[in-house]
Parts: sequence; C-alpha cells; structure tokens
Amino acid sequence: MAERLLLLEHAADPNFATLAGYQAKGGYAGLRKALAMDRQGVIDQVKASGLRGRGGAGFPAWIKWNGIEKTKTQPHYLICNADEGEPGTFKDKQLMEQTPFLLVEGMTIAGFATQADCGYIYIRGEFIDAARAVRKAIDEAYAAGLLGKNILGTGLDFDLYIHLGAGSYECGEESALMSSLMGERGMPRLKFPHAPLPTVAGLWDRPTIINNVETYCCAPSILTNGGEWYASIGASTKNSRGTKIFSVSGHVNRPGNYEVEFGTPLAELLQMAGGMKGGALKACVPGGSSVPMIRAEAVERAIIGYEEMGEVGSMVGSGGCMFLNEHTCIVRFIWRTSLFYARESCGKCTPCREGTKWLAQILDRIVKGGGRSGDFELLQQVCSQIDGRSFCGLGDAAAWPVAGALKVFPEEFRHFIEHGKSVVDSPLREPAMV
Amino acid sequence: MSEPLRIGRPHERPAPPKAEDLNLHFSERAVQELEALKTHYPDLKACVLPCLWIAQREYGGFLSGEALAEVAFRLKRSYAEVEGVATFYSMYNVAHKPGRHKIEVCTCLTCSVCGGFRVWEYLKAKLGVENGQTTPDGVFTLEEVECLDACDRAPVIQVGDRYIGPVNEATLDALLAELRASEESSVVQMANEIVQVHLAASERA
Repeated sequence: MAERLLLLEHAADPNFATLAGYQAKGGYAGLRKALAMDRQGVIDQVKASGLRGRGGAGFPAWIKWNGIEKTKTQPHYLICNADEGEPGTFKDKQLMEQTPFLLVEGMTIAGFATQADCGYIYIRGEFIDAARAVRKAIDEAYAAGLLGKNILGTGLDFDLYIHLGAGSYECGEESALMSSLMGERGMPRLKFPHAPLPTVAGLWDRPTIINNVETYCCAPSILTNGGEWYASIGASTKNSRGTKIFSVSGHVNRPGNYEVEFGTPLAELLQMAGGMKGGALKACVPGGSSVPMIRAEAVERAIIGYEEMGEVGSMVGSGGCMFLNEHTCIVRFIWRTSLFYARESCGKCTPCREGTKWLAQILDRIVKGGGRSGDFELLQQVCSQIDGRSFCGLGDAAAWPVAGALKVFPEEFRHFIEHGKSVVDSPLREPAMV
Repeated sequence: MSEPLRIGRPHERPAPPKAEDLNLHFSERAVQELEALKTHYPDLKACVLPCLWIAQREYGGFLSGEALAEVAFRLKRSYAEVEGVATFYSMYNVAHKPGRHKIEVCTCLTCSVCGGFRVWEYLKAKLGVENGQTTPDGVFTLEEVECLDACDRAPVIQVGDRYIGPVNEATLDALLAELRASEESSVVQMANEIVQVHLAASERA
C-alpha cells in the first residue's frame, strides 16, 4: 500500500490555501450538500462514515454531534482543538498551514449539524504560522459569504473565532481547553459520569462540540462523497475507517507527515519515510509520546488501526510516530519523556502532580548512574499508582510510556540500574546535531 | 440539620484594581483591539488570555505587576485572578523582562534523540547563561522548552514567530549574529502577531 491522500492531496499546492484554489479543487461542495440536507442527515452521513476522533482517543465523532439537543433552547458552541502538543505530532500544524479551508469548511458543516452559534479554534500559542493561515482563510470565507450571516443564502449564521493558547500541554485535554478558553488556568474539570458531558454543559455550561483539527478536516470529503464511500476506506480493519495522518520523525531519512489508509502495515510507514537512518530499527513510539513503545519485531507485525495497534501493545494515539535506531538509549528516552510530563502536569491532582515528579526523579538518578536496586519495581509501582487514578488523562499518559518501556525493554533498565551506565555506549546527551 | 458551613461570601468577588491606583499604559490601538475582542465572547473573563497578549506587547514583552493590574482593571477581574492565569502559561513572561530575543530550544523526545541537548549545551556555553536567564546586554533570553511540534525539523528552535531547524553549530552562529544585529524585539513582535490573528480583517487597525 502506498499513501492514501484525502486531506493532504493538495497540501503541496499553495493555491489550495486560497479560497479560489480550494474551490477549484471541489472545495465547499461538502457544505453545499450538507445545507441541502436536514441536520440529522448530516449527522447520519458522519455516522455512516465511521469517523473516529483523530485527537488521540478515537471516540466516534457522530456520537458527539448527535448528543447536542435537537430543539435549541440556548446557545450552542463548537470548538476545534488545535492545541497540538503531543511530542512527536505535527499533523494539525501542517493541516492548518496548508489546508486551512478544509478546517473552516468542516467546522461550518459541524456548526450547521449541531446548530452552533459560533466556533472557536483554540490554536497552540507557538503555532503562529498556522494561526495566520487559518486567519487568512476565515477572512476570505467571510468576504465570500461562507461565514457570518446568511451563509450561501440559506439563512444559516455561523461565526468562527481564533483563540490562541499561551504554552501549556494540559490545554490539549478538552475540559482544560475549555477552562483556558474561558480565561482560566488550563486545568481539567470533572467529567462524565460525575459531571454532564460537554455536549450537555460544556463551554460556559452550554452544549458544546469539541473535536480535533484532523476530525473536522475529514467532514468535507465525507459530505461530498457520502459516508459509505468514506467507510469503504480502511474497511480491512476491525473498526477504523478512512485515513490517518502520521507524523513520522526520529531516525528516519524523510521525516514528515504521511497519510495512510487504516489497515496499512506500520512497517510501510517507515518505508514511506525513507527507512532508518544511522542504524537498524530498535523501537517505535507509534502514536505520540503517551503511547507505549514497541520493539522492532512488533513493528513488523503491527497494522495501523485503533484496535489493531492494541494487539501489539500500543495505540494509534494522535499519530506521532517516532522511530528510534539501535544507538538510542531507551532509558534516557523514557527519562526525557517523564521529564516532559512532570513539567507539564497542571498540578491539580496529587497522583499526577506527585507521581510524574517521582517518575522523573527516579529516572533522573538512574541516568546519572545512581540507580538503586529496587528502582525497577519502584517505577512500576509509581506507574500503577498514577494510571487510572489521576483527574484527567495526563496522568495516564505519563504512566503508560514508562510502564510500556519497562515491559518491552526490561533488560535496558536493569542494566542501567545495576551498572550505572547504558547498554548503548554513548555519553549522556548523546547524538550530534544533524 | 444545621446549615452547612460557608466560608466567605460566594457572590462577592475580590474587587478589581481601581483606576486611580494605576498607571494605564495601553495605547489607543490596544484599547480598540480589546474592544473588538470583547465581542468574540459572551463574558469578559474569556478575554483574559488575549488581553494578556496585548499587555505583553504594550509592556515591551514583560508582564510586570503593573501590566497584570491593568489587565485586571480593564476586564474587571481581581489582580490575583489575572496573576494566577498569567503564571500558568509558559509563553507569558512573568518572571523578569526578557531579552530582545527569546531563544526557545526544544530538547523533547524527537529533538533529544536528534541532537537537541547538543544545541542546548552549545547555546548555553555560547551565551554564558542558564535556563531562563538573559544575557547581560539584554539581547538574548535562553529557554529550554517542551515539544514545539516540529519534530520533522529536529533539532528545532523557536525565536519569536520563526521556527528554525534542523540547526547545527554553523546555523546557530549565523542566527545569533543575525539576531544581535536586529534592533526589533522578536518577543514583542510575536505578542503582536498573536493579537492580530485573533482579529478579523474588519477589526484590525
């Protein structure tokens, strides 16, 4: 299998980021079709497509869209989670920079289906280029009557606003993102079943839809070609449909975003990225820093799909796929991972705030050669004390990579703890700059 | 049953700073931008983050106590609330006035295995500063940051609105020379860019 380009098909064409260029390639056909249907018809198309959230959790998109009250009694809001912060992932950045109209059209379709008054695109503060591209697209869409009042003469009103973050990984978590959008510290809120779903009481306690950039970008082609057409892509997998963009980085010859059909072997993704650089494949983190890493043998068996990746002990996640060569020290890699979570934990709940710090401290003493016997088990224990016990997913995401690496590379950790040095013979903070 | 214990008065909020206690610094343009932003949200509180960006630009890249007080005053929030928000986010400069250019070095996962720590050590030695410090001439602030999500360009650094990568010793030397020669503050410029993307074409000055 090769790449299957639905979203990135015209990404290299700079005209595609302009309204004229976008419409020349069939842009806005999806919105026109949607507006000719009733709202439920649009949701049914998304249901038929089998589209699942691309932000990492893989939750069926239509369930969210369908969960909004049908008889509108109050304002409804739409949010795009463009706070891409997962280490290893850079797909939303490219989508916003090169295909901003896919996002704008996709959000307009979702806005129509859920009777939203307006949408907020919450973009990570660092992504100024992406924000500028989306701003340009929104301005053009307003000027052409594709946003604002009476869209395409159908009486639909829908506004889009851009809201930038200011540097916080935690704000990628949906309830924390809403806190941040409402002008607070980016801390998570109580979630279902302890609190209503965002579709019932989200932003300003109003019914709210929140989806990832890539999810919204899928909507135009689903509406244009029909949900069943979309569902035929990736049909070899258990329950994953369509395409997924993987951000391939690490020790590969051609790092970048690659869009593949679900059901593609993971090993082919590596080939697309030009194969390994500087040594043979040792490990792969297939879905962003939060997912457990897998060994080279598992990469050979892995099939890209939400359930299929589970069979090799990992996840699709957000699609941040890092390939590591044989000279990589897994212990140091995991040390850096845990440092990331310790720094980005928002501090709200004890298991995450304290647990991530302890993981980082224990790993820090190990990589500095001061590992103690029993540290291996201690790490496992701390992971199990965080996993499932933290207020939001950040704690789980901090525990999984450590627990995963302890499971698949136990010998590396034991060696480092026992001998005070890595099995990979290289100084701390090893590789040369490219 | 006795009444549940109530601490404080839930319907009263701490008062925002008073105008007479403040030196208001926002320019005419900034006030207009803030007025436009207020129309984007159903309440004033949601304007805190964008207004902090305006303040970061208006106060030369640094959110001093005065700057936070002005944001609090203009949005009718308490000073403590605004300070609480500002200190949560890493891109707001609340600790001290940054240099003209803030160099943010990613040493996170992909960068760490592609030489990010070499970049970090090189720049620390070259500039003679530690994490978060500013060079004595006030030109550079160096900061180690978490994933910038440009892993295809690892090792990558960010200066203002520019992503630069992959970098090596030669490109870093050239970059430092270029930045040293430029008079404009990329910290202020970045804050301005961020304010501008919030605003629709009709709202921009």
